Amino acid sequence: MVYGRNLFKLIIIKIMNVSTKKEAIILSSDHNQFNENKLSTEYIIIVQNLEKSFNSVKAVDGISLKVRKGELFSLLGPNGAGKSTTIRMLTTVLKPSNGDARIAEYSLIKEKDKIKPFIGVCPQENVVFEALTAEDNVEFVGRMHGMNTDDIKERTKILLEKMNIAGRKKSAKSFSGGMKRRLNIVMSLINQPQILFLDEPSAGLDPQARRLVWDFIKDLKKTGMTIILTTHDMIEADVLSDHIAIMDHGKIIAFGTVNELKSNSNNGNILEFSFSSRKELIQAKNRLEQITDVKNITEMENNKLIISFTGGVKTLKNEILGKIESFKTLHFREDSLEDIFLKLTGRGLRD
Amino acid sequence: MSTIDLKAWYIAKKNIKEKLKNYSSMFWTIAFPIMMLIVYKLAFSADDGSYLINGLTTFDVEFPGIVVYTIGISCVTSAVMFSMSKKDGTLERIDAMPVSRGNVFLGAVISEGVFMNLQIILIYLFGYGILGAHFELAMMPIGYLIALIYGIASIGLGLIIASFLNSPEGANGIAMLSHMCLMFVSGSFFPLDNVSVFFTPQYWVKQVYLQLTVVGDSFSDLLYSGTIITPTSVATFFPIWSGILMILAFAAIFIILGIRIFQKKTTL
Ligand SMILES: Nc1ncnc2c1ncn2[C@@H]1O[C@H](COP(=O)(O)OP(=O)(O)OP(=O)(O)O)[C@@H](O)[C@H]1O
Ligand SMILES: [Mg+2]
Repeated sequence: MVYGRNLFKLIIIKIMNVSTKKEAIILSSDHNQFNENKLSTEYIIIVQNLEKSFNSVKAVDGISLKVRKGELFSLLGPNGAGKSTTIRMLTTVLKPSNGDARIAEYSLIKEKDKIKPFIGVCPQENVVFEALTAEDNVEFVGRMHGMNTDDIKERTKILLEKMNIAGRKKSAKSFSGGMKRRLNIVMSLINQPQILFLDEPSAGLDPQARRLVWDFIKDLKKTGMTIILTTHDMIEADVLSDHIAIMDHGKIIAFGTVNELKSNSNNGNILEFSFSSRKELIQAKNRLEQITDVKNITEMENNKLIISFTGGVKTLKNEILGKIESFKTLHFREDSLEDIFLKLTGRGLRD
Repeated sequence: MSTIDLKAWYIAKKNIKEKLKNYSSMFWTIAFPIMMLIVYKLAFSADDGSYLINGLTTFDVEFPGIVVYTIGISCVTSAVMFSMSKKDGTLERIDAMPVSRGNVFLGAVISEGVFMNLQIILIYLFGYGILGAHFELAMMPIGYLIALIYGIASIGLGLIIASFLNSPEGANGIAMLSHMCLMFVSGSFFPLDNVSVFFTPQYWVKQVYLQLTVVGDSFSDLLYSGTIITPTSVATFFPIWSGILMILAFAAIFIILGIRIFQKKTTL
C-alpha cells in the first residue's frame, strides 16, 4: 500500500515535471519570439558580453551594446582599446572567446554565414589587390556577394565617382594611401550592405578627403543604412554619431549620445594653458587648486595644463586670470568629448 | 560554408590577373624551366653515344625530370600566394564575404592549373618540338594527366607550407628548399639508388612518366606487365599501374592535408 502510494506520487511528479517543462519551453520560445520581433524593429545589433583574449591579453573584455537600425554608432577609444578586435568579431572573421551577438537577427556564434551577406566591411588596414585595377577590385567584392555584371558596373561607376577616385583603370599599386582608403570604402559598399562597418574610415586622409568621406557617410545614413565606425578622432565622432560608446582597455566605459555624454560630464568650460617652463606650470597649478570653481586639473606633456571650471566667463575673468601671471598661450572652449575621455581615463585619446 | 559555386571561377580570375603581374612568379613559372631545358640539352649534347636504354640519349631520359621540376614549382607559387593572402589581410577580407573556403581552394587550383597547362605545353613545345626529346605519341595524354595530378599534389604541399608561415618571403624560401630537396631525394635531378626515393611523389611521377612516354611502345602491355625501373635501370617489383596509384594517393594526401592544416591554422 505504501509502495503503491509512493508509486502514485512518483507518477504525479513525473507528469508534473513533464508539464512544467513543457510550459517552460513554450514560455521561453514565446519570450524569444517577442524579443526577436522587437529586435528586428528596433535593434539590428545586440552584443552580449563579447570577449576576446589573445594569449594573456584581454583585447575585448566583456562588452555589451545595442545598435539601432539606421543609426550611426561610434566606438571611440585610444590605441589598443579593442575597437578593431570588436569590429573583427562582429564582421565574423575573428571568433569570440566568450559571449555572442545578434546581427541582423542571426547569432554570431551559430549562424555567422547568414550574417555575411548583410554586411560591408572597411578594415583598418587597407586591403586591396594591388595588381588589379580599382574597377577590378570593386568588381571582385561584388562577385563574392553574387552580384551580376550590370549591377556591379552601374554601382561601381557611381561609387567611384562619389569617392572622387580618378584612374579607375589603373592598377591599385599606383594609388596613394588616401586613394586606397577611399577605394576600400567603395569596396565595402558595392553590395549595398544593411550594416556597414568602418574601422577608422578617415585614417590617413587629408582634410579635404576627410570632409568628402564625412559627407558621404552622412548621405549613406540618409538611405537608412546602419553604420558602425571606430575612431579616435572626437571631432569625427561628434560630427557623425547618433550614439557613442567610449572604449578603453577592452571595456565600454561610457555610452550615450554626444549631448548625453557632454551633459553628464558636467564640467562646464575648459581652459588649455601652455607655459614656457615647468616651473611656471607648477606655480600656476598650485594657485589654480585654491579656486573653488576649478573642478579638474590635468597635466599634459609639453608644459600644458587642462582645467575644467564652472561659472563661465565670470570665473575666468575674476578668479583665474587674476591669479596666473605668465603663460605662453591660452585656449578657452566648451567641454568636448576629449575632455570627457580625459576625465574617464586620465589620459588623452592619442596616448 | 563548404559549398562550391561560380565564385571559385571569379577567385581564379583574380588570381590569374595577380599572377600575370607578378614578374618573379612568372619567371619561375615560365622562363626558368625553359632555361633549364636548354642547359640540360647543352650539357648532354656531347653525349658520346653510350646509350642508356633502347637507344635513348641521356637528354631523353632526363627530360621527364624537367617536367617534374617545372610542375613541382606550383608548390612554391601556391605557398607564396596563400601566405601572402594571410599577411596582407586579403584572406580575412574574403572571410567577411559570403564565400566558402571551398571556393577559395578551388579557385587556387583552377588558376594554378591554368599556368600548369601553359607550362606543360611550353615544355612540350620546347623539349619535344625544338630540342627533340624522344616521345611515344600514344602515351602523351596519360603523361599529360600524370603531370597535372602531380601539380595538384604540389599545390597541397604549398598549402601545408603556407599554413605555418606568415611571410611570403619565408614561404618562398621553405617551399623552394623543400622542392629542391625532394627533387634530389627522389632522384629526379640525378639518379639516386636509395629506398628514400619511394617516399617522394616525384620519383613515381618521373618513373611512370618516363616509362609511358619514352620507353613504352604498347600502353596496355606496359601497364600490366611492365614494372617500374629505378633510375639506375634496375627493375623493381612495382608494376606501372601501382605507380599511377601512388601518384593519385600522394595527390589526395597532400591536398587533403593541405586544406585541413590551412583551415585549422587560419579559421578563427
Ligand atoms: N592578433 C593579435 N594577437 C595578439 N594581440 C593582439 C592581436 N590583435 C590585437 N591584439 C591586442 O589587443 C589589443 C586591442 O587591439 P585593437 O587592435 O583591437 O585596438 P584598437 O582599439 O583597434 O587600436 P588602434 O586605435 O590602434 O587601432 C591590443 O593590446 C593589441 O595589442
Ligand atoms: Mg584599430
